[in-house]
Amino acid sequence: MSVVTVSDAVIEELKGIVGPEYVLIDKPARYNRTRVPAPFPVHRWGDYVPDVVVLPATAEEVSEVVKLANRFKIPIVPRAGGTGLADGAVPLRRGILVDIKRMNKILEIDLEDRAVTVQPGINMLKLNEELKKYGVFYPDDPASYPCSIVAGRIGTSGFSLISSRYGHTRDLVMSMQVVLPTGEIVEVGDGGGRKLRKSSTGFQLKHLFMGHQGTLGICTEATLELVPRPEAEFAAFFGYRDFEAAYKSTGAMTKSGLATLAAVVLFDDKKVQYLRRDDEAYIPQPKSVNSVIATAIYGVEDEVRAAGKRLLRIAKETGGKYLGDEVSQGDWASRHDRYATPLHGRLLNGQVVPMCWHCEDSAINYSVIPKVRKEWHSIAERYIKKYEIFDDWGCFFYTNAAYKPWGDYLAEIDIGIWEQRLNEENWRAWVECKREITQVALKYGGSITACHGSTREGDAEFVPVEMKGGFEVMKRIKKALDPNNIMNPGKNMLDKAYED
Amino acid sequence: MAVNNNLQQEFVKKWRDNAYGCFTSGHKFCREVCPVTQVTRNENHTPTAFHANIVAMEQGALSIEDIAQDYVNCTMCGACELRCPNTLFTGDFYRHRTQTVKVVKAMRALAVQSGIEQPNWKRWVEATVDKKSEPVLDVPINQDNVAAWAKGLDLPIGGETILFCDCEAAFYRTSVPRATAMLLKKAGIKFGLMREQWCCGGPAAEMGYTDHARVFAEHNLADWRAVGAKRIIVLDPHDYITFTEDYPEYFGEDFDIELVYITELVADLIRRKKLKLTKPIKRVVTYHDPCRLNKRKGIFESPREILRSIPGLTFKDVDHVTQWSYCSGAGGGFAVERPKIAEEISRRRLAKAAELEVDTLVSACVWSERPLSARGRELKPKVEVRDLMELVAESAGLDYGGVKV
Ligand SMILES: Cc1cc2nc3c(=O)[nH]c(=O)nc-3n(C[C@H](O)[C@H](O)[C@H](O)COP(=O)(O)OP(=O)(O)OC[C@H]3O[C@@H](n4cnc5c(N)ncnc54)[C@H](O)[C@@H]3O)c2cc1C
Ligand code: SF4
Ligand code: SF4
Repeated sequence: MSVVTVSDAVIEELKGIVGPEYVLIDKPARYNRTRVPAPFPVHRWGDYVPDVVVLPATAEEVSEVVKLANRFKIPIVPRAGGTGLADGAVPLRRGILVDIKRMNKILEIDLEDRAVTVQPGINMLKLNEELKKYGVFYPDDPASYPCSIVAGRIGTSGFSLISSRYGHTRDLVMSMQVVLPTGEIVEVGDGGGRKLRKSSTGFQLKHLFMGHQGTLGICTEATLELVPRPEAEFAAFFGYRDFEAAYKSTGAMTKSGLATLAAVVLFDDKKVQYLRRDDEAYIPQPKSVNSVIATAIYGVEDEVRAAGKRLLRIAKETGGKYLGDEVSQGDWASRHDRYATPLHGRLLNGQVVPMCWHCEDSAINYSVIPKVRKEWHSIAERYIKKYEIFDDWGCFFYTNAAYKPWGDYLAEIDIGIWEQRLNEENWRAWVECKREITQVALKYGGSITACHGSTREGDAEFVPVEMKGGFEVMKRIKKALDPNNIMNPGKNMLDKAYED
Repeated sequence: MAVNNNLQQEFVKKWRDNAYGCFTSGHKFCREVCPVTQVTRNENHTPTAFHANIVAMEQGALSIEDIAQDYVNCTMCGACELRCPNTLFTGDFYRHRTQTVKVVKAMRALAVQSGIEQPNWKRWVEATVDKKSEPVLDVPINQDNVAAWAKGLDLPIGGETILFCDCEAAFYRTSVPRATAMLLKKAGIKFGLMREQWCCGGPAAEMGYTDHARVFAEHNLADWRAVGAKRIIVLDPHDYITFTEDYPEYFGEDFDIELVYITELVADLIRRKKLKLTKPIKRVVTYHDPCRLNKRKGIFESPREILRSIPGLTFKDVDHVTQWSYCSGAGGGFAVERPKIAEEISRRRLAKAAELEVDTLVSACVWSERPLSARGRELKPKVEVRDLMELVAESAGLDYGGVKV
């Protein structure tokens, strides 16, 4: 694949479209917009630097930029918060990077029909700061809540921690405006009015534009669900003597039929050990606790009180020990911040080094959790022994289904990686490790990913495997919408659409 | 390591581990509280970028010439450091806190040392060479009138306790030091002025002119010593940072001066009934947590305690954590180089105050008051900006006079 560089003439045209101030060609602007969370191959940083960065303010500007890119067949990559964990926003073929963070206005708050229309560059925490005044909120709640952005949530089809109660990004975005790879601006969503939750006309296009990682266009506006702010919140953490007991208890809780149950998270023994190691924020537990379940119930006061009682009973009956109000409230409140704090990593000899966090996020069924977990840890162990740059930070399992806790699970294994030591050999080892982990998920009927997307080396190769016949459909759609393969090329194996 | 020259190599060596602490997480939790990024939405201006650039420098991919400009975009408010999960969770255990303010300051110094200067900062600092004070526009500034604000107050020179008056307060908002001096006198506190008061040197240091800043610091310390000062009452948060962070760095163990921040002292005086607030003030107010007090020094209780003790006042508080994402835009020399963005930061701060339907925004940082007042006048209805000490003096029945701009 040849790399097209952006000519001065194109840069001048871009300046005409978005204004000279918003076309950045300086090195730091381009270097910093390549970087995504770790492991970021520092040793290859220079390979993926875009040629030019544009910061548009409107859908029309985005459309003109895309038309220009299409005319000159220049790769173009949308970037929101740059917090995606699957390299979706990394410009593999350089070209134009469209940073949509300036498009962060709230366009309409409709309390009557319960919808808020926003430009896609707004962050959820910021949006909710505004919505608080009206007694409503937008309940997309990833661990990256303070830093990820609506457009990136759409681009990745993200996972919300309180989804069992409120749904995930794809359920919470009612409709959106998209600039297609050829520059047309279209609306997708149920019905014609932008604010319908269910219609039956035509194809279900909204889902096509969820989780495409910027390969099918650029979202420029979105209409989102508004839900009442929960009157009451009940968080409870339970300790178990072993993983097996906690696993069974998880099943009992999630299948209980409690409609207000918003989240059930199962932390395995490796995760508890990791948190215990040296993190002062983790309140010490008795030694007998080897697995933990974190739960949260959201709703109106009367429902939550009753559901809380029932949940405590289920936990007790299945061997769980309530860990107390301090742990429960404190740890749940800080859940957004518990990720990605480095300096926890330990080498085999116990030495603490500043490691970064990589998470593998498969979607799997409840029944296979024990097997997947076991195989994942044994893969990690092999790599830890062989390469002195890895650490196993444990697994957790999150209820994954929208509006129902009993669905499948987001299964995550967190691997610490000593990024400062990444060279080509260690990098290849990491990709291999990732491949093995991915294959385990597929072997047990799971999916490569539950929310981050499959755009990182080690995942991407398996997209055709998981999608099977559906991959043929993907290729046809990609080629039809993006005849020149300009939108985020190189991702998801979609280059294959242009091979014949 | 592929860094370009010695100065940069030294810099990278000093800051690389701190930079990697951020780089390896890189989640950008800091972005949405950064006052500059909130306005510009430019990733170059994020704390994340400030650290990533150092890693790129280590790789030889970026040099000080490439990045110097970006480090102008910081008010040094410290919000990012507080919001950073590295500080929140691993900070205590490993004695590791993501240092961003220091990095920005050090990078600005590296720029100046490397001969890269920002035009307005250069002019600003050059003007202070003769004036020895912050070059405030349109006001005659020199050592002869540095204490003109104290006219008629009959304050002695020297003594064990010295009131240090910020340049902005000395020349621009003289109502603040006047109010402060009068209420201290009323409460029976004995204090004097310096013989010759120069700028604290903080702004020059923040703009990267470290050597220059040190000259000021040395002068001031010598003056304190000469008049027998043991304790300094500070009425501006910026000075407080300079005295508590820069001066100990310059002078090490020798720096044995006690520093007292005015709100802590006044709250104590009220608590001990040495200062009685009797005159009701019929205003609906909210409080602006000055970044350097709240975010950087953890002083947020005493100003609130004082406000609550003023009779007649309706105080609509916003908790100090929410205020991590506010800033007046006035700090870190930022407004000197980026006045438009600074203005927008102040405008947003006032808009937040207006949402609470107040008639007054009370600050405890004189630097913030000029820009905030200007934006408050734009609002309908207007929001007036007052200094906390002005309100205290008023409620203590003092007619302090002076100028407010
Ligand atoms: C600490 C931490 C915790 C996390 N926890 C979670 C979690 O709980 N759940 C979860 O789902 N994720 C989580 N993530 C991952 C990440 O936050 C999400 O993937 C998020 O959706 C990415 O958002 P972003 O704004 O950073 O997007 P980016 O990383 O900028 O982009 C993501 C993808 O979307 C595309 N894109 C960006 N803008 C547009 C647009 N306008 N139109 C079309 N495509 C676009 C990009 O090209 C890219 O492929 C976490 C990440 C971190 C760092
Ligand atoms: S400064 Fe802290 S919050 Fe910001 S990106 Fe770095 S580590 Fe994350
Ligand atoms: S100190 Fe304040 S202005 Fe500077 S980077 Fe941090 S949050 Fe932004």
